[in-house]
Amino acid sequence: MSAVICTEGLTKYYGKTLGVADLNLEVKKGEVFGYLGPNGAGKTTTIRTLLDFIHPTRGRATIFGLDTHRDGVKIKKQVGYLPGELELYKNIKGGEFLRHFAYLRGGVDWKYVQELAERLDFDMSKPIRSLSSGNKHKAGLIQALMHKPELLILDEPTVGLDPLMQQEFYRIANEAKKQGQTLFISSHILPEVERICDRVGFIRRGKLIKVEEVLDLKEHAFRQIEIHFANPVSKEEFENLSVVKDVRVEDSVLRFTVAGPLDAVVKTAAKFEVINIISHEPNLEDIFLTYYGGDENAAS
Amino acid sequence: MLLRNIFLKNLRDRRKALFWWSFGLVLYSLFMCAFYPTIQKSAVELEAYMENMPEAIVAAFGGADNNIASPEGYLNVEYFSMMLPLMFIIYAIGFGSGAIAGEEEAGTLDLLLANPIPRWRVLLEKFLAMVGGMAILSFMTWLGLAVGIYAYDMDIGLGQLAAATFSSALLSFSFGVIALAISCLTGKRGMSMGITTALVAGTYLLYVLAQVAEPLEKYQKLSPFYWYMTANPLANGLKLGDMTFFIGTIGIFLIIALFAFQRRDLAV
Ligand SMILES: Nc1ncnc2c1ncn2[C@@H]1O[C@H](COP(=O)(O)OP(=O)(O)O)[C@@H](O)[C@H]1O
Ligand SMILES: [Mg+2]
Repeated sequence: MSAVICTEGLTKYYGKTLGVADLNLEVKKGEVFGYLGPNGAGKTTTIRTLLDFIHPTRGRATIFGLDTHRDGVKIKKQVGYLPGELELYKNIKGGEFLRHFAYLRGGVDWKYVQELAERLDFDMSKPIRSLSSGNKHKAGLIQALMHKPELLILDEPTVGLDPLMQQEFYRIANEAKKQGQTLFISSHILPEVERICDRVGFIRRGKLIKVEEVLDLKEHAFRQIEIHFANPVSKEEFENLSVVKDVRVEDSVLRFTVAGPLDAVVKTAAKFEVINIISHEPNLEDIFLTYYGGDENAAS
Repeated sequence: MLLRNIFLKNLRDRRKALFWWSFGLVLYSLFMCAFYPTIQKSAVELEAYMENMPEAIVAAFGGADNNIASPEGYLNVEYFSMMLPLMFIIYAIGFGSGAIAGEEEAGTLDLLLANPIPRWRVLLEKFLAMVGGMAILSFMTWLGLAVGIYAYDMDIGLGQLAAATFSSALLSFSFGVIALAISCLTGKRGMSMGITTALVAGTYLLYVLAQVAEPLEKYQKLSPFYWYMTANPLANGLKLGDMTFFIGTIGIFLIIALFAFQRRDLAV
């Protein structure tokens, strides 16, 4: 079975500005691939090239083994797309917009559209002009999903969704995966990618730095943790733990960085009276610097 | 259902504007005819007045062979030489420059083209919507004039009226397609509108000045207005030869639009 998405040396310059460089990417059938990178990394550029909205400066891409430029129309029959900067027709109702797109796709199962609308709590009778950005987003998601495509390409799909809807989106993504759909999801939020993806590609300044299984990622994932105790503690007790780094103590507050399973830390902390545990997710820059700092030069 | 395809959706988007344009054109056409009896009465003075006009101005109003006392001459001078094409041109340029670039600037084009529809097809459907819009406006103009000539007893054939209206629409539509091509090349609606409007003004001036300035005469055939003004379909009907310039222009710029849109990187 060939890859669902495959890029070979895909490069895009906007004049002199780099979009992406020498991208070699493979997304396998049935997997959820997270495309992780900070703002301006080249995620949208990659996605818009895959959809043939912009043309590569060099290299090529295939989807389902078909050339994205030559066979774009054939590919799009089986692709659902959610743009990063979603704009909808303002002069029609949500339902009319979905109907229009259903027609343009040559018809879809309307019951499924209604089901999606219900799950996302989307009111189809409201004019798009009057919708909040979260509600517009729902319309965008529904149109991406409504023809049950083999491949979903979603550009930062949870941006602008409230936490409840984010959860609903994660569920929908999971179901899509269970039904055998392939998902390509761009994001700048690591926990989100860890949560829903099987593999992650890290992109920064137009370069794909590393592709990794999420399971491996979790193994050496690190977090900053803060434990508030009832009484002052000494740091020696914790410094000896192999997963712990950068231990600092201020009175009864312990701060450290942990990479790997938390078990030993929790058991040690349990000897004392714990008031609160706070975990900070690392930001992307920190991850890039800590783990992939060696590729820094290649990326700039 | 008006959301069945891109062609109908584009007409639907403009249905309110189309309604008011139609309303205005019917009324205006009627009014034009309503003034004819008054003009006819003072025809002698008007003829004298026109004779004393500079040549260029006479040319701008459709040439010296228009007898303003005759129904054809009157409508040519007062309506078909200036006002009607002007209104049609405004409509056509607005439609043409916005058809693709409007969606691109609004940011909806990505989503539209994520559907399994080739770009050329999207463009052709929008082009056909332009044709549809112009056809509706032309018909309404013709209708207003037809009622007018009946009510005010003007002796013009309905076929000739149709020919003259069609000829006006064809001239204007050419500029609309030029605007479409420029917007497909640049993705910029305002720029396309500006350039095309300048082109209208420039070619109009070329036609008028060529009437009086010898050295310009050999270039006048480059102006769409030359072909439009010299045909006089209200008197003669419309012949294929009068239309070839416009059909050629429309064809060439449609092809440019298709190629440009097919190749270009779309703006976000
Ligand atoms: N249309 C464009 N013209 C010029 N530069 C662009 C354009 N689109 C993106 N870029 C540049 O390309 C780089 C990658 O952008 P983008 O793909 O949008 O990143 P991301 O989606 O990861 O935030 C950025 O430096 C951005 O400024
Ligand atoms: Mg982006």
